[in-house]
Amino acid sequence: MASQVVKSTIVGTKVRPLLSTTKADARVRVLGLYKAWIRQATLIPIDYDVPKSEEQIKEKIRSEFLKHKHVTDIRIIDMLVIKGQMELRETASLFKHKGQIMSYWKETLEPKPTDFISKFMSGSP
Amino acid sequence: MLRNALRCSVALRGALMSMPSKHMRLMTTAATTANTTEARPTIRKPIDEVARSHLVDFGKYCAEILPKYIEKVQITSGDELELLIIPEGVVPVLQFLKDHHTAQFVNLVDIAGMDVPSRPNRFEIIYNLLSLRYNSRIRVKTYTDELTPLDSANEVFKAANWYEREIWDMFGVYFSNHPDLRRILTDYGFEGHPFRKDFPLSGYVEVRYDDEKKRVVVEPLELAQEFRKFQLETPWEQFPNFRNTPGSSGSEEIPLDEKKEEEKK
Repeated sequence: MASQVVKSTIVGTKVRPLLSTTKADARVRVLGLYKAWIRQATLIPIDYDVPKSEEQIKEKIRSEFLKHKHVTDIRIIDMLVIKGQMELRETASLFKHKGQIMSYWKETLEPKPTDFISKFMSGSP
Repeated sequence: MLRNALRCSVALRGALMSMPSKHMRLMTTAATTANTTEARPTIRKPIDEVARSHLVDFGKYCAEILPKYIEKVQITSGDELELLIIPEGVVPVLQFLKDHHTAQFVNLVDIAGMDVPSRPNRFEIIYNLLSLRYNSRIRVKTYTDELTPLDSANEVFKAANWYEREIWDMFGVYFSNHPDLRRILTDYGFEGHPFRKDFPLSGYVEVRYDDEKKRVVVEPLELAQEFRKFQLETPWEQFPNFRNTPGSSGSEEIPLDEKKEEEKK
């Protein structure tokens, strides 16, 4: 592991890789994690008492992955994959609660006021 | 009558006895003069020069044996030996300190982390070792950043397992080849690493029970933090009177024998 190096996004510097050494390698890891999450999606409504269907969960998984689609650095992708794997494990082994699963949807969050009148009425700066 | 007089005299004596103590300086931060030896357990013993020279010798010896990994050897507070190593040297150096006959640091006391955002390698990972055989302690320090993995010390010390999980959870430093790296202190679903200096004291989210939803909800926290400054040093000096006493002035580097290394080259 110590002998391997990958190119950093900073031009000309070589750094130690986290997991993958090439872009293709990182891509395989991301797709593998995505597949594992999608497979888990069928189990989540059964395991947890959440008012969401399988399709809604799959859609949420997809949007969570697409949140990071602009990331190009291999090491950052790897770090996100590592964190995603840990999260998947927590979800699959029922470490989480219903509330922690539902926190992905942010249903109770009120949208911030945008126009002047509603900003004035809510008292936010 | 007699009994009353006795009681009186006892009271008077007590008052007289307690008188001088009122004029004593109770708490003082003045440095004690050199000749008086303190026997109180709270006072730090003067540095033992013999023990110190042994530490210096051992530090030099380590640097001589592992010149590839040890960058610097230093002594802090007069009698604490520290080895500053490169990140690749964690496993070999710890293995050496554990297995070498004259070291036998078989006990991993703790792994600590430190975050200094101004440095290019912002995290410092500190391994505290104890040798029961020689009644001695040593500190091994290395550095890394957010994305560079360190080698796990789990193959050398089984105790490193949970300590490294703690470092991962609190600082987000990844340890490669760790058997079971996952969160240990924070809650499931928690985002961020709380011991990083850029993590706000209040956190990013707050958790409350929602009566309508009948469950716990997580919501972003909005608190004004106008005076957030990353001041890494204390704004005042705690013990100005002890500024120049030996053992308080930071770390003292042990000069390594550079000539030998040059000859090798």
